[in-house]
This record gives sequence, structure tokens and C-alpha cells, in this order.
Amino acid sequence: MINPADLSANLAEALAEVFERARRSLVVVHNGRRGAGAGVVWRTGGIVVTNQHVVASGRAHGRARISLIDGQELPTRLIAEEPEIDLAILQVDPNGAGDLDLPAAPIADSRLLQVGQIVLAIGHPWGQLAAVSVGILSGLGEAQVRGRRGAVPVLRTDVGLAPGNSGGPLMNAAGGVIGINTMIVGGDLGVAIPSQVVESFVVEALGEELRQASV
Amino acid sequence: MTQTNGNNLLAALSDSMAAAVEKAGSATVLVDGRRRYPASGIAVAPDQILTADHVVEREDDIRVVLPDGSEARARLAGRDPGSDLALLRLENSLAASAEPAAQEARIGQLVLALGRPNADGIQASLGVISAVGGPVRTNRGGLLERYLRTDAIPYPGFSGGPLVDTAGRVVGLNTSGLARGASLAIPAGLAWQVAEALAKHGSVRRGFLGVRSQPVEIPAAQQKALGREQPAGLLLVAVEAGSPAEAGGLIVGDILVGLAGQPIDDPDELLARLTGEVVGRPTPVEVLRGGQPATVTVTIGERK
Repeated sequence: MINPADLSANLAEALAEVFERARRSLVVVHNGRRGAGAGVVWRTGGIVVTNQHVVASGRAHGRARISLIDGQELPTRLIAEEPEIDLAILQVDPNGAGDLDLPAAPIADSRLLQVGQIVLAIGHPWGQLAAVSVGILSGLGEAQVRGRRGAVPVLRTDVGLAPGNSGGPLMNAAGGVIGINTMIVGGDLGVAIPSQVVESFVVEALGEELRQASV
Repeated sequence: MTQTNGNNLLAALSDSMAAAVEKAGSATVLVDGRRRYPASGIAVAPDQILTADHVVEREDDIRVVLPDGSEARARLAGRDPGSDLALLRLENSLAASAEPAAQEARIGQLVLALGRPNADGIQASLGVISAVGGPVRTNRGGLLERYLRTDAIPYPGFSGGPLVDTAGRVVGLNTSGLARGASLAIPAGLAWQVAEALAKHGSVRRGFLGVRSQPVEIPAAQQKALGREQPAGLLLVAVEAGSPAEAGGLIVGDILVGLAGQPIDDPDELLARLTGEVVGRPTPVEVLRGGQPATVTVTIGERK
């Protein structure tokens, strides 16, 4: 039998650990306007995934800057975008990056998810840097989108998302990224594009073999 | 080391909640019985679906989507508008029954609200039991002995669906139809009782006395005459002609202080005591008449 005090301490510890790990792969995406979105390092070598709508605005288009949680700012280059599923891929400028170590977040297989599982959303809601919210996976469904896809699978959660969570990761209890939060697709608050959809998009954009999920 | 243990625990909690959703979700159905979007229901027996009364606008040809995605038809077996519950009977289909929790929910307990408002599958939200209250008069003219309040998000179409514990046992039935702007849950014990009555009689019988009353203080001397400490009773301000109260000999000016051996000190308490079980039974009603205790026998009628 587990002592209840130990249990809650261990749970708190586990949540903190997931958050600490996630923070290292979390970035702030500036688009030159007011406000900012979030992004996640999807591949080593400075491949960052964020929401398309975060980087879509006029003068910063294609030239968004990101900053790390420690404040360091880096220029990026837009290498792919798909408004339909609100995803964009940024390449951190290698000149600016220097010997920067940007660890990729562990990606989990969103096809194995079950409604009721604990999820953590990490981002910068209302400009609060690297804030975490906890909830559960509320539903697995589809959202209608315009364009060639017609419909896209989405993850629904009861985590209260706010502007600034856009483009940030939704993680599972083991710390794996299961989706990218967006407030644009689906017409609801609180949906995420599943990691497998993001992964396919990245693979397509980078022209590489589909790799196995690492978590 | 603690990190590893901690993470196992977090993952274990996560998995157990997913298992709870799967278990309770296997007894949660879609109920399409109103003009707007569908709502949810709980299978309380293989052919019986308990749902919220306010989501059932038809009596026949109610479309039900079972957890396996198959469609079934149901008809209304009975309704209790006062507690916002309705029982449907499935035609030619069976569902897995939900398991009600043996104990009443406690404040702070983790709970999941479930619903099946569309074909995408089960939906859930997480919260805690925020409050346990009652008795309360509902905005549908009934009296709810107990209710649960939770901070789990009631998504559209969650009315009629279950509120479950982390083991997937039902602690309540969610409805947004009882209190304006708030989602309440009817405790499972109460909901199952009503379901049983609806299955048997098609309605929930409630006792009828035929009086109007207002709470009054009982002076110390009269409490002494009563032989117990009871600071309040119900002054009868009207006795309906032809009512059970009149037939039993209750008169305006009596202070009602007890029914069937139980002290009564406010109108909600009286309503709560007038259950279906006392209908048709000669029942002792204890009053103060002219300051002196008296007991008259009233054969309780049925509220129509």
C-alpha cells in the first residue's frame, strides 16, 4: 500500500520532471507583432515546429525569430508551412546558432492514445513564459479543414489553452510529445494536431524516412 | 530513483484514468431525442438507459448509439421531470450495464465526466467533486435530496452521461438541466433508485398532504410540552379542501412538528419525507395545537 503523502510527492516530482525535460526543447516564437507563440524542437539540428498562424504575419513572414527560455534570441528560416493543419517548420539559422545544443523533444506515438490519459500543455499563455497546464485527453476525433486534406485527426483536451500556447507541445505522462496545440483548427478551444500528423509533415518537408517513434 | 518511481506513478495514474474511461465508456451511450445536438445516457440495465429528462423531447423512436458504434432505437419508459431523469427502454438491442459506486462521492475526490455527444467516440474531462449538497429545490419544480457539484468541464451533450471515479464506477449522472448556468450531478444511489421506480411504475410517486405552511419558531414552553428540543416547526396557513390533510383532521393554525416519527422543522424536510413509500399509508402527523402536542393520522395521497 502506498503512503498517500509519498504518492502525491512522487506525482508532483514526476510532473516537475516531465516539465523540466520539456522546457529544454521549448522555444518562444516571435513574429514581429505583439504577442508570441510557442514552438518545440522536433529534430536536432535546429528543426523547430510551431503553428503556421504564429509565423504567418506580413513583415516577419519567413523570418521569425525564436528565443530560448534563457532569453537567447536566434534567427530562423521558414522551410515549410501548411495553413490547413496550422503547422510550420523553422530552421534555426546555423550561423546564429553557433555551437548551440538544442535537444529534440521525445516524440510519442499519438496513435496509441486513449481518452482519459493525463496530458500536459506547455507554452506561454498570455505571455507567461514556459507555463504548464495539466488535464486529460478529452476526445479523439476529426476536424474539418479546408483544402486537400478535408479532415484532420485532432486531440481534444480539457486543458485550458490560451493565446501563447499556440505551437507548443501537448505531452503525455511519460514526457513524450503527443501533439502541437493550436487554437485555429477545429473551431474549438483546446485542440492539438497529433504527433503522427506532425511527424509525417516534417518527414515530407525534410524528405527523410519515417522513423520509429522514440517514446 | 524517486524520479523513476514518480514517473511510474504518474504513468500509472494516467493509465488507470484511461481504463476508467474505457470501462464507464462501455456503458455510456449517445441519446438523440431532441431537436438540437444529441446528449448522453447511462445503461443501468442491459435494456435500460437512464438519461436527463430535459434531453428527451420524444417518447418513441429515440435514436441511441451504443459504445460499439451500432445504432439502436429506444422508447421512453418513464420520466421524473422534478429530478430531471428519464428512463429509456432499448428495442431489440442490449448494452453493457454501468457499475454504480457503492459509496457516496466525497469532496476533493478525483472524478471524470463522460459523454458521447457524437460519433467520434467517448469524451471525458477531469475534475474533483467540488461540493456535496442538498436537499435543494430544482428549477424544474422538484426536490433533489442530494446533489454533487464538480469542476470537470461539462461539454455540450454531456447531460445524461456519468460522472465516474478513477475506477470507472458511476458516482453520479451529469445534467445541466437542474440549476441555471451550472452543471450538477445526481448521486448514483438516487439516480438508480429513480431508475428502478421508473422501470416499475413509469413515474416516481411522491406523497401529497395538501397543506401550505411556513416555518415558525417554537417557544421554549411548547418545546418542553413536546418533550424535545425543536426550535422550529411548520405553521399550517392553508389546508386544501378535500385533501388528505383535511380528511385526517389537520386545521389551519396547527404547527406541524413531526411526520412518521421524524421531527420536521422546515418545508424541504417535509417534502423529503413525503416519498412514494408513504403514499396510501395511514401516517402519524405530530402537531402543536393550541400549544399542546397532538397526533393525528393522515392517509398520505399521491402528488399528481
